[in-house]
Amino acid sequence: MKSKNIKVLLVDDEEAFVNTLANRLKMRDLKVETVYDGEQALSAVEDKEPDVMILDLKMPGLHGMEVLRKIRKAYPNIQVIVLTGHGTEKDEEEAKRLGGFDFLKKPTDIETLLGKIKVAYKEKLEKTLSAIAFAEAGEFDTAREIMDEENGN
Amino acid sequence: MFSFPIETAATVYDTLLRIYVLSHICVLNRGLNLSILRFAMKIQNVIGSLKDLFTYRSNISNADFGERRYKSLQRTFIFRMAPLILVPLFILIFASYYLLQNLFHEESRQQLAWDIENATNSIEYFVDVKISALRFLASGHRYEHLSDPQLLAKVFAGFKREFGVVVDLGLIDKHGIQQSYAGPYNLQGKDYANQEWFHKAVTRGIYVSDVFLGYRRLPHFAIAVKNDEPDKETFWILRATIDMETLNRLLSSIKLGKDDDAFIINHSGTLQTPSQHHGNVLEQYPIPTLVRQRGTTIVDIDEKDRPPYVFGYAFIKDSSWILCVVEKSGAGSRIAAVFRTEYFALLAVTVCLILIASFRMIHVMVNWIKESDQKREEALREVEHATKLASIGRLAAGVSHEINNPLAIINEKAGLIRDILTLSENNLDRDKFLTNVNGILDSVKRARTITHQLLGFARRMDVTPEVINLNDVVKEVLGFLEKETLFRDVNIKQHLTENLPRIKSNRSRLQQVFLNITNNAIDALDTGGSIEIITDLKDADTVRAIIKDNGHGIDAATLKHIFDPFFTTKHKKKGTGLGLFISYGIIKKLGGQILVESEINKGTTFSIELPINHSAATTS
Repeated sequence: MKSKNIKVLLVDDEEAFVNTLANRLKMRDLKVETVYDGEQALSAVEDKEPDVMILDLKMPGLHGMEVLRKIRKAYPNIQVIVLTGHGTEKDEEEAKRLGGFDFLKKPTDIETLLGKIKVAYKEKLEKTLSAIAFAEAGEFDTAREIMDEENGN
Repeated sequence: MFSFPIETAATVYDTLLRIYVLSHICVLNRGLNLSILRFAMKIQNVIGSLKDLFTYRSNISNADFGERRYKSLQRTFIFRMAPLILVPLFILIFASYYLLQNLFHEESRQQLAWDIENATNSIEYFVDVKISALRFLASGHRYEHLSDPQLLAKVFAGFKREFGVVVDLGLIDKHGIQQSYAGPYNLQGKDYANQEWFHKAVTRGIYVSDVFLGYRRLPHFAIAVKNDEPDKETFWILRATIDMETLNRLLSSIKLGKDDDAFIINHSGTLQTPSQHHGNVLEQYPIPTLVRQRGTTIVDIDEKDRPPYVFGYAFIKDSSWILCVVEKSGAGSRIAAVFRTEYFALLAVTVCLILIASFRMIHVMVNWIKESDQKREEALREVEHATKLASIGRLAAGVSHEINNPLAIINEKAGLIRDILTLSENNLDRDKFLTNVNGILDSVKRARTITHQLLGFARRMDVTPEVINLNDVVKEVLGFLEKETLFRDVNIKQHLTENLPRIKSNRSRLQQVFLNITNNAIDALDTGGSIEIITDLKDADTVRAIIKDNGHGIDAATLKHIFDPFFTTKHKKKGTGLGLFISYGIIKKLGGQILVESEINKGTTFSIELPINHSAATTS
């Protein structure tokens, strides 16, 4: 699969980490944007329209889990991958429950992360495509259901 | 609970002492006060020692734990218990001994009284019979008839045949002259006019004399019967004498010991029969004050410088005789002497038995205390260990979190360098840089393994209980390791006990533990080694799995640290030193225990014991 079209938003307060990771992902042909806290993430989603969001949990200001909850509610077609150094089993369960696509612990292999991003994007794509198909067939309810599938509500 | 009355006694005593001191100030009678003071001090000592006996004082210093402490505890128990047991026992024994001795004494007095009464009765009867016989004789014969010595001899012969023991028979006229005489002595014509018995017989009609020597110089007594002849206004006396020996024989019915004495005295204390210890007939006996009363009197006599004795006496009617018995080794004391040996033997045996029993009891009690102390200490250690484990878990998780972030930066930076290098042109230094960057990335991976495992530690301590079969867990783990064992040519023998009770535990955690230990066992083996896995029922509440390898073994120094975190003997890249630490934590959490034994070059055995029904698994 071509990763050229995948738009990724990195959310992490560790600038050194987030910038380096952004560089590496860009080198792998992804479109990458970076923000350093939760509030920025919520506003960035508006104009950047990312496909996949890589989200840290422990950040100053808005907590990652809160960002996840809000994103899933407002933009159910953005796939969120949590990447955190503070991952406990409880956090993982909570993230999955709120509709997070996956849960990774720092530090992680670039290849692993890339793989997850691609899978997430593919799933989003499939979901969107089938929703469009249903919409074209006039079954808007089903289309909405598909889009809201992993929405926490 | 015992100390209360003692405390009360002590308070009462203190008050008494205070009153005493006040009285000492007021009263100037020093002598009396001094003796009161001495008495008070004695009471104080007794109460003091009683207080000691009933008071608990800790005599354990902090360093004084272990065997010595229980030895001293046992000694303390014994020293405190022994007087408590023995003092009342001795009091009981001596009181009962005293009472029994009194009983025996009383019994022997009764026996003595009975004997004396019997002897008195037989003497009285003896004398009565003689008197009756003489009166009958006197009334049946005429004076003229009896004054013929030949006839008198005939009558005497008949009399002797019927009544025996009579020495002689004499007829005395009113002037006191013996008119005729039958007997072994030549006493015819003897004049008794001046003798006391004659006068008494004349006045009383019947007279029984004291023992006297008389003309024949032999101790005897006389029985005289006066026969009046009113028509002739005259009288005569028929007299029979009886040997003292006869009287003496009558005393033989009294049972006597070798120091005892039975004899007859008259009212003035002259011995009428020989006494074993107080002289011969007609000698004077040092007569105690005797009270004339009916029947027999028994008195205990306790004189200075002489052993106490029992003196019994009875007045004999129609005579001036008193039957006396001196009992020095009374029947009572004789019985008591036999009894005393047995009694004290019994006492010794009882005391021994009680002492042995109570010492045994104390020994058992001290052992109970020791055991419960040990159990408590063990439980404390367990709790301490569990707390330690929990805090290590928390600390590890905290540290891991903080390390993960910088680790992630290193990871990305190094990754970026590698990415750049990979994309850049091939120059001389590129490979060198790449090797070093890969080194950094490998180290990050190693560090990550550790932090993730530590993070998992807290997570792994969270166990949800489920009902599982231990054998299934073992089989699953062996399934995972199939390839590894084939590759390493390790022979795995299974001895799984069928129908093991299912246990309340956690499958995945147990899998992790078994996987870890079995992996270690495989690592310890050279190619071709073998591992034995046994499951069995240890006791009614515990199942057990034993994993035994015949590998290179673990030395004692290593064995001590085997469950410590970050302790490993494996190559740095292979082990983090957390496997057994986590396994240990899991088994503890599941309420079980994990034991290890090892011998160099023989192999290592891990035993995992798990409770069948573990309730604590649900609590956290």
